[in-house]
Amino acid sequence: MVNKKTIFRETRAYPVVFMLLITIVFVGILAVLYQLTLHRVQTYRETQLKSMVLRTFDLPENDVEANFTKFISLREEADLTYYEATKDSVLLGFCFPISGSGLWSTIQALLAVTPDFKNIIDIEIVSQNETPGLGGRITESWFKAQFKGKLLVENHLIQQFTLIPENDQIKGFEINQITGATASSKAVVDMIYKNVLKYSKEMRAEL
Amino acid sequence: MTKKQIFMTSAFTENSIWRQILGICSALAVTNLMLNSLVMGLGVIFTLALSGFTISLLRNYIPKRIRMMVQTLIIASYVIIVDLVLKAYFPQISTALGPYVGLIITNCIIMGRAEAFAGKNPPLAAMIDGIGAGVGYTFVLLVISFVRELFGFGTLFGIPILGDWWTKWSIMVMAPSAFFMLAMLIWIVNTKSAKRG
Repeated sequence: MVNKKTIFRETRAYPVVFMLLITIVFVGILAVLYQLTLHRVQTYRETQLKSMVLRTFDLPENDVEANFTKFISLREEADLTYYEATKDSVLLGFCFPISGSGLWSTIQALLAVTPDFKNIIDIEIVSQNETPGLGGRITESWFKAQFKGKLLVENHLIQQFTLIPENDQIKGFEINQITGATASSKAVVDMIYKNVLKYSKEMRAEL
Repeated sequence: MTKKQIFMTSAFTENSIWRQILGICSALAVTNLMLNSLVMGLGVIFTLALSGFTISLLRNYIPKRIRMMVQTLIIASYVIIVDLVLKAYFPQISTALGPYVGLIITNCIIMGRAEAFAGKNPPLAAMIDGIGAGVGYTFVLLVISFVRELFGFGTLFGIPILGDWWTKWSIMVMAPSAFFMLAMLIWIVNTKSAKRG
């Protein structure tokens, strides 16, 4: 028996068989682990997204599921997908999943606007892979807060925001950019402009 | 060698970063924040310990000619386990580290230890060697990120240390400063060990 084994280990087939077996074992373990954690990961992502939608409308986030069902409804029309928020039968606004290319990868965000498309309500960054400490700062509250209530329209036209240095006073259609992360700041501003333009057109908003 | 000697050798005397100049890519990439460095370090320690253990366990069965393939498979599996666990149980840290966790696979230290130690030594020793190398790596990451985060952000582990008067050094946040810091660290260590003889 021992002799046979030694001989088999010297054959050409041995490395192939060994590699095949070890691959099956390890990939098997990973597949099981992936399945076990999949549900948890997905639930977390969904809850995270729902609570972000609520946050853009400044709605309570304590019971995400209940509040989401109560205030938010998902609309899917042709190639448009967006959330609609209603409170006490008053339409608060729309929340659009938007995305644009950042410095390293796609930035995904949620943008809430008033029903008349004239003002931004709030913005939340869903996912980004910008440089940590530089472009990654687009998730910081001071940066996002600049967009809160920001006017979008002048002379019935959607306006593009201009970027000014980080600590300067902003007025009108200006936004403070992040020092050392012009590309990431510009990406956010650009994706807001493009998407507001697209959605306002598709949804036939009177500007 | 005793267990302690194995640990001390791979962690400090033969430190992967300052003696062997391995694993510096990630040392440059994640060291602008101490928290990211720590989590990265823990991920590397975990991978090193378990991949060392497994490779050592299989060392007499792994065909010599395909040993690198087998090592890569084992290392990659453990890294994916780290990634899955972080995603499921520590989603915030997982988001903060982004693609860096997956990049542990490409950390030369792990393959280096597998080749230099785990393939020739018993499982427990290989595991201790792996933990040692990981601790040494984490130590260097923390030293570099301490300086970079302090000067670059005025914070440590995200807690403000230097007040508003501090002008943040943007260069400390960016990759080039990591090169300077790493070079200085290696310089200091080499000068010291040269003196000691």
